[in-house]
Amino acid sequence: MTRDPLLMAWAALVTLSLAGAGLSLVPAGSVVSLLALSLALLKGRIILHRYLGLAHAPRWRRGFDMVLAGFCAGLAGLALLI
Amino acid sequence: MTDLIDELPGEPMMWVLIVSELLVFGAGLAALSAMRLTDPAGFAEAQAHLDRAGAALNTVVLVTSGFLAVLAVRAAEAEREARKRACLAAAMALGVVFLVIKGQEYAAKSAQGIDWETHAFFTFYYLLTGFHAAHVVAGIVLLGLVAVLRDPRATETGAAFWHMVDLVWVLLFPVVYLIR
Amino acid sequence: MKYQTQKIALAYFAVALALFAVQVTIGLVMGFVYVVPTFLSELVPFNILRMLHSNSLIVWLLLGFFGAAYYLLPEESEREIHSEKLAWLQLGILVLGTLGVVVTYLFNIFEGNWLLGKEGREFLEQPKWVKVGIVVAALIFLYNVSMTVLAGRKTAITNILLLGLWGLALLFLFAFYNPSNLALDKMYWWYVVHLWVEGTWELVMASILAFLMLKLTGVDREVVEKWLYVIVAAALFSGILGTGHHYYWIGTPGYWQWIGSIFSSLEVIPFFAMMAFAFVMVWKGRRDHPNKAALLWALGCATLAFFGAGVWGFLHTLHGVNYYTHGTQITAAHGHLAFYGAYVALNLAIITYAMPHLLGRDPYNQVLNMASFWLMSSGVVFMTFVLTFAGTVQTHLQRVMGEDYMSVQDQLAVFYWMRFGAGIAVVLGALLFIYAVFVPRREVIEPGISQPAE
Repeated sequence: MTRDPLLMAWAALVTLSLAGAGLSLVPAGSVVSLLALSLALLKGRIILHRYLGLAHAPRWRRGFDMVLAGFCAGLAGLALLI
Repeated sequence: MTDLIDELPGEPMMWVLIVSELLVFGAGLAALSAMRLTDPAGFAEAQAHLDRAGAALNTVVLVTSGFLAVLAVRAAEAEREARKRACLAAAMALGVVFLVIKGQEYAAKSAQGIDWETHAFFTFYYLLTGFHAAHVVAGIVLLGLVAVLRDPRATETGAAFWHMVDLVWVLLFPVVYLIR
Repeated sequence: MKYQTQKIALAYFAVALALFAVQVTIGLVMGFVYVVPTFLSELVPFNILRMLHSNSLIVWLLLGFFGAAYYLLPEESEREIHSEKLAWLQLGILVLGTLGVVVTYLFNIFEGNWLLGKEGREFLEQPKWVKVGIVVAALIFLYNVSMTVLAGRKTAITNILLLGLWGLALLFLFAFYNPSNLALDKMYWWYVVHLWVEGTWELVMASILAFLMLKLTGVDREVVEKWLYVIVAAALFSGILGTGHHYYWIGTPGYWQWIGSIFSSLEVIPFFAMMAFAFVMVWKGRRDHPNKAALLWALGCATLAFFGAGVWGFLHTLHGVNYYTHGTQITAAHGHLAFYGAYVALNLAIITYAMPHLLGRDPYNQVLNMASFWLMSSGVVFMTFVLTFAGTVQTHLQRVMGEDYMSVQDQLAVFYWMRFGAGIAVVLGALLFIYAVFVPRREVIEPGISQPAE
């Protein structure tokens, strides 16, 4: 059976979501904030690449990836200031 | 210029909408993160009233629904109408599940006497999750509409809107529910 | 001019320009009242002057839009306007209404009469009978243009123009709702005022600009239409909830501060897109259209709209900033450049484009027209800078230091004198424009050899 990238994407998203759920059980702090944002960034990239099909549009993918990463970095910066 | 637009998968106007929505939610999340710095303790206290487990479950619900929407697009492109409709119906049903869980969350807040004026955090909470929930409703309607149309392009456009709703939620979740 | 009924536009443009002259003249008088406050204070108080200044602005811009629609719809739909008689009737009603408004405001007759008296609401102070007249005229207009478009060729330009004009007319109906609760009154009032200038008028602006670009640059219609749809989507997306930036301090719930701040910040995008659109079209365009003045006005419109509506709007749209700047001269600076850039220059662009065709003068005097652009635009831009400085000083002295209003006004006198000077330039520029489009029959400079037919 060949591995459908879409199926892999869904499995990855569910795994990452469960990891996010796990984060909600541990005491909050800078590490949790950074992990939570990293998970969000990964999930966002999968949705953009696989669900929205940017995997086949390399220039757009790069643009969206960069902006999304920058945005998450900004949020992380604000989270670290708490 | 034109070939760059042609490279974009799906309807360019939907991408205009997606980018616009991302800007709005992005600005809202950034504003929440910035305002949190003015009163970290108050925001953390307010956030403690949220139902994190329900929200985490909702993430799984939405990404699975998004998966079904992509399957629907594939079925539409293969001209398998029945399969397309089944996938879209399942995706819409999960959208309804999301709204039910969300509704329970709102009801619990309301029972505790919390509204959008209780604390600045709740203003953002209701604005962001409320706007998002409104998009879930719109997305369900849109998916229902494209289920009826025999047009793979329309299905792709409707699914793209649904993925945007998905994307917004995964970005919203950590900022609203986890970070404190 | 390919279609006979396009001639209707001439009458609309003529009335519009006459009102334009009145509007800027009253503006100049008000600029003088700012520096010599007792001037005319008994005869025509400042609030009356202001009503005349803003109302004549709105009416002449609308007349310009109507004229533009009557001019460009036959060309786009490839058929004559449905009924020429109705178009004249519509103009007659609007002129009568305008005269009625002026008389009512100046002499304040029928004070308190529900039908004949003024209503005392800023921008919507027209007596009820005039409002009804406006609705009747709008219905006639919509019927007339819709019948024309429905029977003819449908293009993105006609669709967006009609969408804008229908929206404009329907939203005006909120002018009839006048609740006694002042907060509610203000809330619905913005449904007209804001959703006009930052919603439906933008659609009209985008479609007229698209028509001009199509004609002046010769870029493919397909390309123009793509831009048009994106601009319109961005305008409606940001503009509708952008209404929230008027709901910060009028008694509406606090969440409007964030909705207003976020959505209205995005309102800069459609204006930026319109500027980018205009310049990209000119850059890509192959046609060297002889009407250089129209091109200058179109580019000037897109650029000054971006700065006036976009940048100057953003300056004070965030509620944290607006908390201090609300209602200061910053607002006046934004208002002047935004209206001039977006809507005055737009009207003057389409008038500059259409007049040579309407008057059968091709080529016509471009030099005077272009000079009027630079004179008028420099005047408004200088005025904007001066008022921005005045507003900054005012915000600091009045809102931060807590000095009282009138003593701050005294300290702003130097800015008001400079604004009065800028006003003189604007009035001279406006008069020069009117002269340039109506009077000279010969080009001052010999036209080049190539003269395309359009």
